[in-house]
Amino acid sequence: MKTPTEDHDLLRWLDGEMSAAEKAAFESRLASDPALKAEAELMQRLSADLRTHLPAEMPVPYADFFNSQIQVRLAQDENQQMPAPASEGWFAWLRLPWLAPAAAVLMVSLFVWQNGAPSGSADSVVHSIYVPSAAVQARSFHSAEANATVLMLEGLEEMPADRKIVGFNITRTEVDEAVAATTLFGTDGKAVAVMAKDARNQPLLLTSSTPRG
Amino acid sequence: MKLATAIFVLLGAALVTAQDTPPVQPLPAKKPATDAKVWGALVFATNDAKEAATMPKVDVPAAYADIPQRLGKVFEYQRFEVIGQHLQDVFREYESWVVPTKDLFLKVDSKGPAEGGGMNLHLQFWRDQQVIVKTDAVLKSGSPLFIAGPKWRGGQLVFVLVLQQGK
Repeated sequence: MKTPTEDHDLLRWLDGEMSAAEKAAFESRLASDPALKAEAELMQRLSADLRTHLPAEMPVPYADFFNSQIQVRLAQDENQQMPAPASEGWFAWLRLPWLAPAAAVLMVSLFVWQNGAPSGSADSVVHSIYVPSAAVQARSFHSAEANATVLMLEGLEEMPADRKIVGFNITRTEVDEAVAATTLFGTDGKAVAVMAKDARNQPLLLTSSTPRG
Repeated sequence: MKLATAIFVLLGAALVTAQDTPPVQPLPAKKPATDAKVWGALVFATNDAKEAATMPKVDVPAAYADIPQRLGKVFEYQRFEVIGQHLQDVFREYESWVVPTKDLFLKVDSKGPAEGGGMNLHLQFWRDQQVIVKTDAVLKSGSPLFIAGPKWRGGQLVFVLVLQQGK
């Protein structure tokens, strides 16, 4: 188990902020501590990978989401009144809890960007993907044979076999702006469902007893 | 006491009647501005003929009749049954929902016309109250988007989204 002091020294060493004497002392400790050495190597590899794969500037997809996460993090830090280290360099960002999903999104976005169809193509293109669940892997590709763009999601939780999938045949909808609800009408003109939002802004689908339109 | 009982019985009867024929309130006639129209469907991909036969029959518009065949070029299943479908306007200023089934549906936000044709869309694929994936995409007519959904009954559920030609 490393102490915060060791973590801080590691970050300073990675950022090249140590004096010659401090550096020599730290490197001798690295040589005698395999766990610390392994972490240092891991951080160096991660740094190199990020520098290699990410452009110097890149628009962040779902900026609102990340901004809100940063604000939450800042508010938590303020509430806990934790004194921030004087200088942790940019490696300190690697320890933020939201960084792993953020990096995953950036990597997926980069992958999609690199594999996307050229501008002006007649094919549909997926520009970015965000998957909230760490258990799910997403990728997209274009199938020339099917002339379709495919968004593959691996690792989704299976739908229970005893669950009956209730299908609709929706031909028309009406939006009630006052209550932000959408009424869905079937082929016979009858309302079969209403899509609204609950208090957590999650979709709430209310259906009639005979849903198929 | 008798009066209270009578009111209770009358209210109960009124509620039962209301449940039998739910009133549909007419909504404002003003229709929000739209950018496009999309067709969404949930398809059950399976190799089990008996399982496929249990699915309800859905009359797919002729324009999308080749979708099962195209799905067969991507997904290694023999049968593709459309479980539900939804033809939906893409509203310019409001979110649009494509709800071919009660279980899996798609939220669509218009981000305006794409350069060279098609639509810039922000899509959210939902399973009940859980968002499975969010994506920014350019959808072009003639080039559907297939979203590989969860496995089900030995097969797989696939969401199909097609931008309708014209508007």
